[in-house]
Amino acid sequence: MIEVTNVCKRVITTEGKLDILDGINLTVGDGETLAIVGPSGSGKSTLLGILAGLDLPSSGSVIVNNQDITAMDEEGRAMVRAKDVGFVFQSFHLLPGLTALENVALPLELNGDGKALETANYYLDRVGLSSRTTHYPRQLSGGEQQRVAVARAFACKPTILFADEPTGNLDTGTGEIINDLLFDLNREEGTTLILVTHEINLAARCNLTLQLQAGRQMENGEANSKDLVS
Amino acid sequence: MLSLRMLIRTWRGGELGLILWSLILAVAVVTSVSLLAERIEKALTQESSSFLAADLVVRSSKEASEEWLKEAQIKNVSTAKIMGFSSIVFHGDELHLASIKAVQPNYPLRGSIKRSTIAFTRDPSLIESVDFGPDRGEVWVDARLLPLLNIELGDEIELGDMILKVSQILIEEPDGSSYSFFGARVLMNYADIPASGVIQPGSRVTYRYLMASNDQSSFEEYKAWLEPQLDVHDRLITPDQAQVSITDTMDKGRRFLLLAGSVGVVLAGIALALASHHFSTGQTKQVALLKSWGISASRVRRLYLQQSIWMGVCGSLIGLAVGFVFHHLLLLIIREWLPIELPLAGLQPWIIGMATGLLCLAGFTLPALWHLPAQSPLAVLRQDVVSKPLSSVVRVSFGVAAISGLLLWYSNNLYLSLAILAGFGVTALASVLGGLSLLRLGMQYGQRMGSVWRLALANLWRRRSQSLIQMIGFSGAIALLMIMIVVRTSLIDQWQFQLAEDAPNHFLVNVAPYELDGVRQLVEDNQLDTAGWYAMVRGRMTEINGVAITEDQKDSHESFRRELNLSWTTELPEGNTIAQGEWWDLAELAKFSEKVNEAGQVIAPVSLEDELAGELGLKLGDRITFSVGGLIFEAQMIGTRSLNWDNMTPNFYFLFPEGLLEEYPRTSMTSLYIPPEKKLLVNDILRSYPTVQVIELDKIIDRIRTIVSQVTRGLEVMTLLILGCGVLVMFAAVSLSMSERLQESAILRTLGSSRRLILGIQLIEFSALGTMAGLLASAGAELSVAMLQRYMFDLSFSMHLWLWYTGPLVGGLLVGSLGVGYSRKAVVQPPLEVLRSL
Repeated sequence: MIEVTNVCKRVITTEGKLDILDGINLTVGDGETLAIVGPSGSGKSTLLGILAGLDLPSSGSVIVNNQDITAMDEEGRAMVRAKDVGFVFQSFHLLPGLTALENVALPLELNGDGKALETANYYLDRVGLSSRTTHYPRQLSGGEQQRVAVARAFACKPTILFADEPTGNLDTGTGEIINDLLFDLNREEGTTLILVTHEINLAARCNLTLQLQAGRQMENGEANSKDLVS
Repeated sequence: MLSLRMLIRTWRGGELGLILWSLILAVAVVTSVSLLAERIEKALTQESSSFLAADLVVRSSKEASEEWLKEAQIKNVSTAKIMGFSSIVFHGDELHLASIKAVQPNYPLRGSIKRSTIAFTRDPSLIESVDFGPDRGEVWVDARLLPLLNIELGDEIELGDMILKVSQILIEEPDGSSYSFFGARVLMNYADIPASGVIQPGSRVTYRYLMASNDQSSFEEYKAWLEPQLDVHDRLITPDQAQVSITDTMDKGRRFLLLAGSVGVVLAGIALALASHHFSTGQTKQVALLKSWGISASRVRRLYLQQSIWMGVCGSLIGLAVGFVFHHLLLLIIREWLPIELPLAGLQPWIIGMATGLLCLAGFTLPALWHLPAQSPLAVLRQDVVSKPLSSVVRVSFGVAAISGLLLWYSNNLYLSLAILAGFGVTALASVLGGLSLLRLGMQYGQRMGSVWRLALANLWRRRSQSLIQMIGFSGAIALLMIMIVVRTSLIDQWQFQLAEDAPNHFLVNVAPYELDGVRQLVEDNQLDTAGWYAMVRGRMTEINGVAITEDQKDSHESFRRELNLSWTTELPEGNTIAQGEWWDLAELAKFSEKVNEAGQVIAPVSLEDELAGELGLKLGDRITFSVGGLIFEAQMIGTRSLNWDNMTPNFYFLFPEGLLEEYPRTSMTSLYIPPEKKLLVNDILRSYPTVQVIELDKIIDRIRTIVSQVTRGLEVMTLLILGCGVLVMFAAVSLSMSERLQESAILRTLGSSRRLILGIQLIEFSALGTMAGLLASAGAELSVAMLQRYMFDLSFSMHLWLWYTGPLVGGLLVGSLGVGYSRKAVVQPPLEVLRSL
């Protein structure tokens, strides 16, 4: 569960103070799905970074699974990320020197999982890439690379999965496959899913939507495609 | 072991390539240079030992004590005794005052004797090398003794009461130069001496006691034990003292090897620094990813530290192996020029190689990676969030500390280390200060040129921080290579005269005034040139500052006991330099013409050889009384000179102005080159003028020539090796900006730019960068060379104009072609493939 209370993010620029986020409040329960939507520069990725403990707000608090990550130091937030958080990125962020299997296994190995390779194999199978385990990222298509990234994210069994425009670099067809995968795995694993997207269809599949406009929260609650369009 | 697994995967992914290759090559170059240098050094030391036929010799006027031999046996030191004297040998009515050398059967302890059964042969297939002397009852003789006594090989000659069979022609003795030069050599067995009856009490005999051991520590112990046992009649001779001219050549050769190795170390450091910078930039994303997964900063630091250690150890071990193979390849190349058997190297080169790898990693790679753990995980979402690397000052300080430590340890020479660091420092500083101005100038000038030029020069300015780093790399490498080449050329030039085919190889001494014309004529009839005739007077020192020479002084130095050669000249002889005091000019001489002693005699000014003056305890202003055949005159020491022993022309310990000694009985001397086919001229001179002494240096000069040419070849190979190392640095520097360049080129290609335009831009960018770097390198090299010439190689300073145009030219060509070669990928492969591979 994530509880966000009055989160603001302010930066100093040459033209003075700039509020990237201003008074964001929201609650996402376990197993729920949230889409953060809004035009470019509205602060979507900044909010995602703060929710995931990658960045700190200028004010306000973020409580992740009953832990106030805004009150923690970087080491504390790192522990929360290690235990509870998983990521899927728009540009996949696979390590080019590692095979698909090794890319999925690496975070598990870093956490001292003795069965890292077995688990990685299992998740690659689940994303339909069991025949591509020894391939390097450069030998995989964009869609395949994102599937590896999805497998890597779920293999760590996070309680919350953050996805930053997961289909932003993919064509519509491939994007749909990835979306299906994300939501299927999310349901099966009982993960909370928070994603940033421009896509109406993807946002419509989430049960919560947060619309941002110039850093301000426009709406929070049940969402459907109609709400987003309006 | 996770860190090792991660390292292997990173290597497999190609990201480690440059850094690991730089490390491997750094270690390989330093190891191979050290291995080769140590083996050549050991060989040269052995070679110089062979000049003594031993590792150490005691020369004495009496036979060696039994005690010495017993102690040598205990310490496992081999010994051999030699006796040298002049004696008449007969065959029928013919006789000759020969130079006899009696040796024990195990002579020589180092080196070998060359003998043949064919007189006057120079054909190597007819010459045999042996490491033992003649059997009892046999003698091996100089070929020229055969016509002198009118004998053939196998004939017998008489020496005292003995009849000895001439069984071999003696071609070369390892220590041939160390003995009396007068008369043809007769080598005989030491055990035959008593039976010959030629040595009687009071006979003038020189004993040599040869020592050698393969166990360095017990040999040193024995040497330490022996030294206090020696008295004034004994003189210890080390290989270095055996041949001054060779020692100097070898010493400079050694210093050059050190210089080459040190330049290799610095080049390796630069390559590694550039590669580490490149690697670290590529790791930012990975670290952000790791941190987004919750890996703490301290864990990231540990992971990178462990990976660096693994990389250091593995890279260094592979480097050692490559270095070993490399030095063997080099040996194969130079084997032809290195006929001497090379001894095995010790542990030192391996330790130096390993330390180079680890220290370079600590000095260059770790500082480059140091900031990575501080990388914000937010970089996974935003590309602009990049942690700041350690400040350049800190990184440079680490690098300089590592390199200075390595240089000092490796060369054990402060001047060398300082000169190299100063050269590189000036170049780097000039690159930073002058580089920016040059880049700006290029950009501004480019505006007025064609589109390709404008784009290329503007690119350099746009990427100026990267361009500056590259410029430091390029200019550093070019400067170091130029330093090496200049020093190598100066040294080889200096040695040229030793390699000259017609360097004087014989001295004619003791030519009486009435014989001079005849000897001159004989030399001219043979169409030979002399180095000029020098008159000399034989005199003995009798008093110093009015006090008679004491017995103690006579015991302390042979110059107080024997007659000395005194000569005169107006000009300071070539190769002589003033060490103390002054040389006489007209004003000085005028002053002396008025100086008279108590007896009313004019006091002559005299200039002494500097070292001899020190050994005799003489100071400027001291007055020395000489006796020339009973005629007494007084002289005052007004200066000392350092002599050049390399040039094989007559050198004098005591020199007077003209007009003072001419009235005393004098003889003349000269040096000249006698080619092998005219060797019998020596016999003609000795037959016609029996009192003339001929000092034969032809054999020794042949050996000097061989060694000098070997050292020269060694230098050439080292230069080539270090050139290779320099190219590696350039390669590393070119790689630095390559992914960005390839990306830009691929985009231009996508937009339809021609191959010509893209390669043109790269060619201009890299050539301009190389030209600027070359110019800056010339400044650094000139400074460094000036320091090295002054402090390390005793060479006089000279500007090297060619550096100032060669630097920019070579820099432009080399960097330009490397850059274009590297960029070809951008135009050969489809743009999408290029972009995907980045």
